This record gives sequence, C-alpha cells and structure tokens, in this order.
Amino acid sequence: MTGKNDAVLLEHVTRTYLRDDFEVRALDDVTLRIPEHCFVAIMGPSGSGKTTMLNLITGIDRPSSGRVSVGGEEITGMNEDKLASWRARHIGLVFQFYNLIPVLTAFENVELPLLLTELNKADRKTHVEAALKAVGLAERMHHYPRQLSGGQEQRVAIARAIVTDPTIVVADEPTGDLDAKSAEEILTLLSELNQRFQKTIVMVTHDARAERFVEATYRLDKGVFVGADNSLVAGGTK
Amino acid sequence: MKFIALVVKNLLRSTRRAVLTVLSIAVSLFIFSALMSLPTVANRVLADTASSVRIACRTKMGLAYPLPEAYKRKIAAIPHVVAIEPDNFFGGIYHEVSDQFPNIAVDPEQIDVMWPDWGFSPGGVEGFKRLRTACLVADGTMKRFHLNVGQQIQLRGGGYYPFNVSLTIVGTVAHGPAPSFLMFRRDYLEEIEGRPGRVDNFWVRADSSAAVPQIIVAANSQFANSSAETQCDSEAVFLGSVIGRFRMFFVLARVLGLIVVLTIGLVAANAAAMSIRERRKEIAVMRSIGFRAPLILRLLVAESVITALAGWLLGSGAAFGLLKIFSVTSDVLGPFVGAVQIPPTVVLETILAAVGIGLMSSYIPARAAARREIVDALRMVD
Repeated sequence: MTGKNDAVLLEHVTRTYLRDDFEVRALDDVTLRIPEHCFVAIMGPSGSGKTTMLNLITGIDRPSSGRVSVGGEEITGMNEDKLASWRARHIGLVFQFYNLIPVLTAFENVELPLLLTELNKADRKTHVEAALKAVGLAERMHHYPRQLSGGQEQRVAIARAIVTDPTIVVADEPTGDLDAKSAEEILTLLSELNQRFQKTIVMVTHDARAERFVEATYRLDKGVFVGADNSLVAGGTK
Repeated sequence: MKFIALVVKNLLRSTRRAVLTVLSIAVSLFIFSALMSLPTVANRVLADTASSVRIACRTKMGLAYPLPEAYKRKIAAIPHVVAIEPDNFFGGIYHEVSDQFPNIAVDPEQIDVMWPDWGFSPGGVEGFKRLRTACLVADGTMKRFHLNVGQQIQLRGGGYYPFNVSLTIVGTVAHGPAPSFLMFRRDYLEEIEGRPGRVDNFWVRADSSAAVPQIIVAANSQFANSSAETQCDSEAVFLGSVIGRFRMFFVLARVLGLIVVLTIGLVAANAAAMSIRERRKEIAVMRSIGFRAPLILRLLVAESVITALAGWLLGSGAAFGLLKIFSVTSDVLGPFVGAVQIPPTVVLETILAAVGIGLMSSYIPARAAARREIVDALRMVD
C-alpha cells in the first residue's frame, strides 16, 4: 500500500484515548498520504487531532487501529527500542516551546541527536556547525538557550532537527510561541530548508500565514480528515 | 564516554543541590568509614602483633591481679620454653596527662629472644642490659616528643605506682606492640618499689608453635589450686580476649554505620527524585529525538553514582586524613593507636556503599521517568 514516493502514509488510522470513563476519539479512520520532499501543513481547530497525527507520524504514540508508514517503512508494529532508533535516524522534531536542554549550549543541543550515531567528535562538530550555519546561528553556537531570543531558540531547535539529515522534519506549532516577525522568519527558514535540501517537512499549525509557505494544507476537524487544498495530495476519510 | 559531558552538565544544573548532596554523602561515608574501621583495626592489631610462639600468662582472676615473681623460674623450667619475660604495666605520664603512652617494665636478660620481631635499634639491647635506668622507646614516641638516644627523661607515676622514674634512652623500637611505646627495666622498678616481687604478666617463648599447647597445659597445671592460679594463652588468644571485650561495641559500630548509610541513601533518593521530576519534559524530548529508555536510565543513574562517588572521595579522604593525623598526634587509644587507619577492606566497603547509594537513590525514579509515555510527559508539562 505504501506508495514509492510517499513520505508518510496513514491507512485507516484511529486513535482513541480514555479520559476518566469517557472514550475520546482523537483521530477517526484517517487515511492520507504526504508526498516526499513536500512542505505541508496540517491545520484545524483545537482538538481536531493535529498533534495526535504528528505523534503517530513520529512514532511517539501508537494508533488504536490502522497503519502508519514513514519513508516506506511501517512503524506501527515496532517496539519501543526499535522506534527510538528509527526516530533517531529518520525523524527531526521541532516543538512549539523549542524544548532545548537549558544546561547545554546551542552547539551541545544540536549535537545531542548525533551522540546516538557512530560519528566521532570531529565529524559531529562539522555536522553541528553546518546545521547551525544553515539556520543562521553560526555565531551563537556557544550561547545557552537563556541567552537567545525565542526565534533564535527555535532556530537552534530546527538545527537539532536537521543535523542528522532525517527523512522527515516534523514541526508542532513551530511559530506558536513567537512574535509575528520571528514567526515569519521561522516559516521562511523551513521553506528554504525544504527547497535547498529537499526535506519533507510536516508542520502542525494554527498560523494562517503558514499557508503562503507550504505546498499543501491538510485539514482536520474533530479527528476527521476533511480534505487537502492541493490536488497532488491523495487520501481522505473513509 | 561521549555522554560524560551531558551527565556532568546535568549534574551541575543545580550546583547548590549537587554540593549539598555530595556533602551529605561525604559526611555519611566519613562516619561509615570510621565506624567500619574499628573492628578491622582491632583484628589488625591482633594479626600484626601476635606471634605463634609467644604465650601470655596472667592470673585467672584477671589482668588487675599480679602473679608472684617466683613463677618465673618454675615456668622457665617447663620443657620447650626458651625465654620468659615478666612485665609490669607502669602507666607513667610524660609531662602532661595528654602525653600518655604505654610504658612497661621488663627484665633485661631476654628481650631480644622474646621479641626479635620488634626491631630494636643496633646497640639498644646491649645498652638496655648494661644500664639499670635504661629504656627503649618506640620510633613513634621518639618522633612525637622529639627525643634522642642518650637523652634522660622522667615518667610520672600515679595510682598503683605513686613515684617517678628517671630513665635514659639507649635505643629505639621500630615494630613494637604500638607505635608509641616505652619499655624500661623491671629491676629498677622493683628497687624503687622495695622489691615486692609482683608481676602483671609473664611472656613465655616456646621453641616451636607445636609446643605452645603443651606449655600452656603444663603451666596452668603447675599452679592449679594455688593462691595465684594462672591462665596462660597463646598471644593471639590473649590479645583476642582483650579486644573481645569491645566486641559488642564493634557490632554496634557496624550497625550504626549501616544505618547512617541507609539514612543518607534515602536523602539522596529524595534529591535524585526531585532532580528527575523536574526534568521529565527534557527526558521526554530526548526520547522523542531517539534516546532509548535504557540509555536514559543509565545516564540518570550515572549522575547519581558520580555524585555518590564524589561524596565517597570527599568523605573517605577526610576520614583517611583525619585518622592519619589522629594516629600520629594522639595516644588516647593506647596500643591501638597505630592501627587507627582505614583498612583496604573498609575502603572497598565504602566504595560499594557509595555505588549502592547512587544506584538505589536513582534507579526507581529514573526507571519511571525513562519509561513514561512520551506523549503523556510532553502533554503534562506543556
């Protein structure tokens, strides 16, 4: 079922939670595919299941039913250890609140995912410097997160996400905590990364400005995939 | 090794908490070291001092009661006895009360035969046999009071021997029963005392260790039903009986040591749990970028173990240093003073205790944090 050029394929994915005694259906039988090398946005109102979908794509959550494939590899049946190794190789994550480690410098934060690779110190340094240069923070690599602005922190987080050259970069509300100018800069940066390095970028956002930067927008509502605004994008609800 | 920097940086994220945790572990391991050393010290005294061919004879009534000097010839006549040395514990004071060290009076004729392992200085034994007021002084005492061979000193008596003795140092003792120690001639003591013919102990040397039981039986039988029955034992048994009086104290010391370590283990566990709780979000982030739960667990436990080992280094180092200083500047512990140091077994025990504190304090909270659902942890804190 996985298309050769699909970066992400969700097939009849449902995710339910038990909250107190009530079952909450965060995603309801969603089927969609995201093509390789695209910069796409997943949009929808609060509680529509955007973040849940992102969590499923990154393997930090599991579907109640259905199948999730990323980069041609089905991740639904992987155990925790295998998923962690898979994430280290294939996923770059960007969070709304940056989530940098406060006791590490920008350089050390970006180096963190590389500690899981076989690269030696010199190679790690080369990779980190390249990633920080790509996000325009080569001059700030020895600054701690508290010494950076919100926009700069998010740039470091993006550098951390791309430093391992992952199959897909996943961003959860990357502009949600930023002022308009910084948000614009981050969206521009993500768009550049997509164009320069052909990275597949999947971004969950509320930010209407994002639509100007992405190639496709997927819309969710109440856990249901209600459509995409680009004909390249196939899929839908059952 | 590539994770060391990460571990150290996390350790130092709250410097005050890290320092206080290290100090609390250091204090506990300092106490633990000192308490656990006591029984080992006692055993070491026994092992270092005891000879397989020496026998100690005292009265059955206890160390406080003397034996008649006349027993010397009778015991010397027992087959396989090669030397016999009566001794009296003088208990004199040099200058101040705090300047005490063990000092005994012995007969001069056979000290080199009785204690060849004590390392008398060249000419010391000859001088001791030649001069009635001679004394031999342990190296530790010589150093402590800056004494020299040929120097005259005076020991103040008291209690059982209410008179002073003036002595001339004729040599030194390198490996006596204690690093601080003095022996002078019994005939000089007897002369001042008016020749009462009293002896605290007889030290007997056998020609072989196989003959020791036979001599003990012969001596005890010879004086059975007399007014001063003897109790002869091998030197090891004799010293063991002296040390054995403190056995309950040693057990108590060990129990207290373990309680202290356990208590600090709980304090350290609280600190580790707080530290880990504050970082649940970061742990979730690390896992989301590919750190496996077992690796996270190892990193968190490593932090605690490093903290505990830093505490060990500080606590054991302080204990080692203080006991070293104590052992060369104080004679409060009498013949035990030289052995007051941390034995290798206790060093090993304290390392194990430190690692135990590190492991136990962090394992449960670290395991819980490492295994928590990533989504839950991220949602909880965001």
